[in-house]
Amino acid sequence: MATYDSEDGTPLVTKPGFLSRYLFSNNHKIIGLEYLWLAMLCVFLGMAMSLLMRVHLMWPGPGFLGGLADSPERYAALTLLHGSLMVFFVLTAAPQAGLGSYFLPLQIGANEVAFPNLNIFAFWTTAASVAGITTAFFLPASQAILVWTLSVVAFCVASLLVAVNFSVTAIDLRTKGMTLPRMPVTVWAWFINAILSMLIFSILLAACALLLANRLLGTQFFLTAPGMVDALDGQRLFWFFAQAQVYVAMLPCFGIVTHLLATFARRPVWKERMVVLALCGVGLFGFCIWGFHMFNTGMNPGSPMVFALLASSLGIPASILLLSWFGTLWNGRMRLNTSMLFVLGFISLFLSGGLSGIFLSRGDLPIATSGNDFVTGHFHLVMGVAATFAILAALFFWFPKLYGKRLNEPLGKLHFWLTFAGVYCVFMPMHWLGLMDHVRNPMSVAGATNEGSMRTFITVAAVVTILAQTLFFVNLLATLLGGRRILERNPWRATTLEWIAVAHVRDDDFAGLQPVVHRGAYVFDEASAIEDFIPQDVTPQKVTPQQIAKGQ
Amino acid sequence: MPGATLDDEIEIIIEDIGGGGGGKPPAGGDGGDDGDRGKRRRPSQPSPRRYYTGVALGILSILMFFMALASAFIVRRSAHDWVPVHLPAILWLNTLVLLASSATLEYARHRLANGELARFRNLWTVTTLLGVLFLAGQIVAWRQLALQGIFVASNPGSSFFYIFTGLHGVHLLGGVVALLYVAVRNFDKAKVSRSVAAEITGHYWHFMDGLWIFLLLLLSLGK
Repeated sequence: MATYDSEDGTPLVTKPGFLSRYLFSNNHKIIGLEYLWLAMLCVFLGMAMSLLMRVHLMWPGPGFLGGLADSPERYAALTLLHGSLMVFFVLTAAPQAGLGSYFLPLQIGANEVAFPNLNIFAFWTTAASVAGITTAFFLPASQAILVWTLSVVAFCVASLLVAVNFSVTAIDLRTKGMTLPRMPVTVWAWFINAILSMLIFSILLAACALLLANRLLGTQFFLTAPGMVDALDGQRLFWFFAQAQVYVAMLPCFGIVTHLLATFARRPVWKERMVVLALCGVGLFGFCIWGFHMFNTGMNPGSPMVFALLASSLGIPASILLLSWFGTLWNGRMRLNTSMLFVLGFISLFLSGGLSGIFLSRGDLPIATSGNDFVTGHFHLVMGVAATFAILAALFFWFPKLYGKRLNEPLGKLHFWLTFAGVYCVFMPMHWLGLMDHVRNPMSVAGATNEGSMRTFITVAAVVTILAQTLFFVNLLATLLGGRRILERNPWRATTLEWIAVAHVRDDDFAGLQPVVHRGAYVFDEASAIEDFIPQDVTPQKVTPQQIAKGQ
Repeated sequence: MPGATLDDEIEIIIEDIGGGGGGKPPAGGDGGDDGDRGKRRRPSQPSPRRYYTGVALGILSILMFFMALASAFIVRRSAHDWVPVHLPAILWLNTLVLLASSATLEYARHRLANGELARFRNLWTVTTLLGVLFLAGQIVAWRQLALQGIFVASNPGSSFFYIFTGLHGVHLLGGVVALLYVAVRNFDKAKVSRSVAAEITGHYWHFMDGLWIFLLLLLSLGK
C-alpha cells in the first residue's frame, strides 16, 4: 500500500505478498480485473454449455450426451446453469461491477471507490455465488433449487454492496471541477444503474427471503393456483430473476457505447443531456413497470412474466439513444478499429432485437411467452449478444489501460466479423421458429422438415460462432504473454481522466495529486493542426496544441 | 502568495478541496503542480461525507426491502386461507422501549456536543441496553405465540408476523453492533470523529425505530 507519511509527500511503497496483492487486495483496479476474469471464466463455461445444448438438440440419442437424453430434468438444469452464469456473472456483473470498479473512480478523478473493503467483500461474495450456482447443477433437484436460491441471495447482496459503493463514489468522490454535466456518459450510466440496482436487488432479496422461508420453514407466502403447489421449478425462477436484470445489464452498455462512439467518431456526444435523460428514463420506466408488477403480485414468482411490458418500456429512451448515436456518427471522422466495429455491431443488434421487441410488447400475441423460440431469439440478441458486444468493445478500448498493451487489431477484426455474422445466423432463424410454432399445422410433414433443417442450420451456425470465440482467447493470451508494451499513455486520443492517470502504479492512480477538471467529457476540436481533442484536465488559458502534445 | 510558506499553501489547498463531490473549478490558475494540467495535492484525511451518504443509501435499500415484503403481505392477506394473528400485548411495551432508546441516543449526542464524554458514555450504554431489551422483548413475544400453538408455518398470517419481526430484529441487531462499535472504538486514529460516528449510528437507529412502528401498524391494522 502507498502511504503519504513522508514529509515531501512521496508515496512510501511497501511490497505486499501475492495473496494480499491480488486475491485480497482492496484496490479498485485489481478488483475490477478480478470481476472481468471471473466473467471470462463464466463466458467460457456458458458457451460450452450452449454448445452441448445445441448438439443435444441435433442428436438427442445416446452419444456423448447420453446422460442428458435420459432425463429432461438434466437438460433443464443445464439450461438454468447456462442462463444463470451468463446473465448474473457476465451480463450483469462484468459491465457494472467489473468495468465500473476499474474505471468509475478513474473517470471522476478519485483514487479509490468510497468503501474499498466493501468492494473486495462484494467480489468474493459474487465468487461464492458462482461456486454455489455451479454446485447446484450437480445436486438432486430439491437441494439444487435451495442451493441455487442461496447463491442468488449472495449475488443480490454483492450487487447491493457494489451499488451503494458506486453511488457514494459518484456522489461524494468527484474531483474538483467534475460537476454533474461534466461527468462522462459512462459514469452517468454506472451511477444510474447503481441507483436502479439498489432498488431492484432489495426487492429480489426480499423475494429470496420468502422463497427460502417457504423451502426451509414450510411457510406459504405465495398464492398458488390449485395443482401448481410447487411449480417453482428452476426455469421459472430463473426468468423471474432474469427479467429484472434486463435494465441492470443494458444500462452500463449504453454508457460504454455512447462514450466509445464519441471517442472514435471524434465528435461530441450529440444531445448529451438528452442521452443522460434517456438513461434515467431507462432506469425509471424499467423500474416502475417491473416494480409495479412485483408489488401488485406480492413478488410471486409464479405470476405471469412481464416481458411484454418490459420490452415496450424501452421504446422511447432507446429511440433517443439511437438518434443520439446516429447524430454523433453524422459527419464524424470515424476510426474503424475493432472497438468501434463492436460498437457499431451493438447498435445493429440492438436495433434488430428492438424491432422484435415491438412484436413482443403486443401482450395479446401468443408468442409473448417465456419459453418460446421467438423470446429466446429476442432475449439473446438484445440482452445477451448486444451486451457482450459492448463488453468486447470496452475491452479492446481499455486494454491499454488494463495491461499497458494493445490487443491485435487484424485478429480482432476477424473475430468481430465472424461473430457478427454468426450471431445473426443463430438468432434470426430462432425468431422464425417461434413464429412457425404458431402458424404451423401440426400434421404437416413439410413444416416439420423445414423446422428440422432450420434447427440444424442454427446448430451449425452456433458451433461456428462459438469456435470463432477462440480467436479472442488467442488474441488475449498472445497479447498478455507476448504483446509489446505501448509507451503512449493515451493511445486513442481520448479526453477523459483515466488516460491521464499514472499507468502501472497499483495503489495510487494520480500519484498523490488530484486532477482538476475544466470542461465536459467530449471536447473535440477539428480545427487544430496537431491534436483534435482537449482533455478534461487541461487548464483553459493554457490550451495550445503543443502543450497538449507535451502532456502525453 | 507572498510571505506564505509551501506548507501553508498546501494547508489552504487541502481545506479547499476537502469536501470533494465535484465543486466548481478555481477561476484562475490551478495551484500549479505541473504547468498545463490542473492538479492539486490530495488531502490526507478523506471527507466523512461518504459515510453519511452510504448510510442514507443503505437505509433506502432496506426501506425498499421491507416495502417489498409489505406488498407481499397486502396481496397475500386478501386470500381465502388468511387467518388473522392476535398480536401479543408485549409488542406495545417493546415499542415504548425502542422509542425510549432513540430518546436516550439523542440525549447522549447532545451531551457529546457539550463535551461531556462521561455522560455521553453512560447514556450511550443505556441506549444499547434498551436496544438489547427490545430484542429480548421480541423473543418473549415469539414465545407467547408459540405457547398458544402459533408457529411460523401455522398460517400465512403467522408466517408474516414471524418474518417481519425476525428480519427487523436482524437489522436492529446490526444497529446494536454499531452502538457497541461507537462505545468501544478508539477514535484518536479513526477516519471519522466520535460525533460523526454517533450521528450516523443515530440516523440508522431512528430509521429502525420508524420502521418498527410502520411494521407494527401494518400487522395490527392489516390483520
